[in-house]
Amino acid sequence: MNVGNMLSETWGYLSDSSHWTGADGLWTLMVQQLLLSITALVIAVVLGLPVALWLGHIGRGSLLAINVSNIGRAVPTFALLAILVTTDNPGVRSFGPYGRAGISTLIALTAFALPPIITNANVAIREVPDPVKESARGMGMTGWQLFSRVELPLGLPLIVSGIRLALVQVWATATIAALVAGPGLGNLITEGFYRTDYGMALGAAVVVAVVAFGLEMVGALVERSVDPTRKGGPGARDVSPVEA
Amino acid sequence: MQKRHLLGVAMAAGALVLAGCGTGSSSDNTAGKSDNGTVTISGQNFPEAQIMAEIYATVLRANGYTPSLKLVSDRNVYMQTFPQSIDVVPEYVGGIVDYLLLQDDPKATLPTSSDPNTVISAAKPQLDKAGITLLDPSEAADTNAFFVTKKYSQDNNVTTLSDLKGKSVVLAAAPDCKGRLDCAGGLEDDYGIKITKILPLGFASQQTYNSVKTNESQLGETSTTDATLSHNNLVLLTDDKKIQPAQNLVPAISSDFLKANPDVATILNKVMAQMTTRELTQLNFDVTVNRQSPAVVAQDWVQGNR
Repeated sequence: MNVGNMLSETWGYLSDSSHWTGADGLWTLMVQQLLLSITALVIAVVLGLPVALWLGHIGRGSLLAINVSNIGRAVPTFALLAILVTTDNPGVRSFGPYGRAGISTLIALTAFALPPIITNANVAIREVPDPVKESARGMGMTGWQLFSRVELPLGLPLIVSGIRLALVQVWATATIAALVAGPGLGNLITEGFYRTDYGMALGAAVVVAVVAFGLEMVGALVERSVDPTRKGGPGARDVSPVEA
Repeated sequence: MQKRHLLGVAMAAGALVLAGCGTGSSSDNTAGKSDNGTVTISGQNFPEAQIMAEIYATVLRANGYTPSLKLVSDRNVYMQTFPQSIDVVPEYVGGIVDYLLLQDDPKATLPTSSDPNTVISAAKPQLDKAGITLLDPSEAADTNAFFVTKKYSQDNNVTTLSDLKGKSVVLAAAPDCKGRLDCAGGLEDDYGIKITKILPLGFASQQTYNSVKTNESQLGETSTTDATLSHNNLVLLTDDKKIQPAQNLVPAISSDFLKANPDVATILNKVMAQMTTRELTQLNFDVTVNRQSPAVVAQDWVQGNR
């Protein structure tokens, strides 16, 4: 089949409104997959961010933290999921809206979300220039004040960029839930390939890509808004009186 | 390109002559037939297709051809170059016919007959157009089949799919099972089975076996030639209403290659006439359970049937 045919089949699939509605329509599957991705992301942020920030602040143990979290990058997410579903616990047990093998899928996706979050947050805090830290200490700031008033605001764009990276990669990878009969758009991708219905498979893949792009854009906006060095950003008022 | 191709053929022929000198194996009837040239065999790389490809390779080698095997994961892959640069493919009647019909017209109605010759004649124009010839279909057939645990079969007194009429089951099957006449559609409409849920865990996959064994699902999808079932205390249910279309094994050949090498038809038809579903299941058992290589299993089978 040539590319032109594939594109027109994909468009045909996406422009048929009946494919968007219903219990296994594109909207429902998209919401399922968003829920799965965001939950995994929140777990990863809660687990990874405090450790990474603290280690960045004290300037020690960073290498270990980054390398441990990188296991999540080195082990293929699907391999981890495949191992988890063969265990008795959590195995393939259904878990609320996360469907069949819900807990296993969340664990696998969380492990995949951790590395960018930990690496970026850690580097963000550690790489705040030494002169800045020394001036802060010279002004009599305590460790907590140094962290919350200097290191965190300056590191925030990089921290947010790690979370954004994690969200986009977890969103796209969450399609593997379908391989263990879980929720999400992956169901249409696998079903489409099995039926040689490329419109269905590519249509779902296009939706995944478009949403990934959307999430990327939202993440970029958030990242921009938290940049203290940006004109009009949260830190701008501290700079302008000096210039005036 | 053309030059390089010729050079390759010359080198292959040279290697063949040298190999003939080196081993000096002229015990069988290959004398004077050692220069029939190369035959490229492709196909899918799951055990049964591997075994069939190796059987073709073995009998063609014995008749003076130099087989070259290129197995891939999916029919969609080798069909891109078959029959242009691939000569022979071990196929299934329904598999290749459905593919060609859908290629011709994505909305085509697919044949549902369980008679292989009816199915083949239904696709004659498409086969001719593609330049593919199907030889004689074998008696051996690999169709979808459905299994339950031995315990479920005994407790509910179920040995055929008809016995499941009116019962509610969860079905573990391939992701394309929903609505298909040879899968969930046929089970619901023809057999009156109430399928409460379909888990897309794959065709004869470990996940599907596990799901049935743990009673998460009661019915699982596999093939008639699945050799691992009895090993796992699982039993096949008979398709007593014959909802499965013909999926007999059949050699698919490039029509041009066949014209140039008409003896290939005789060679492969002879070997396919000897194959049965039961024997094929046994060969699958040797590969999937006993972990023998498909090549060895194929050679042993050919030796035993010479």
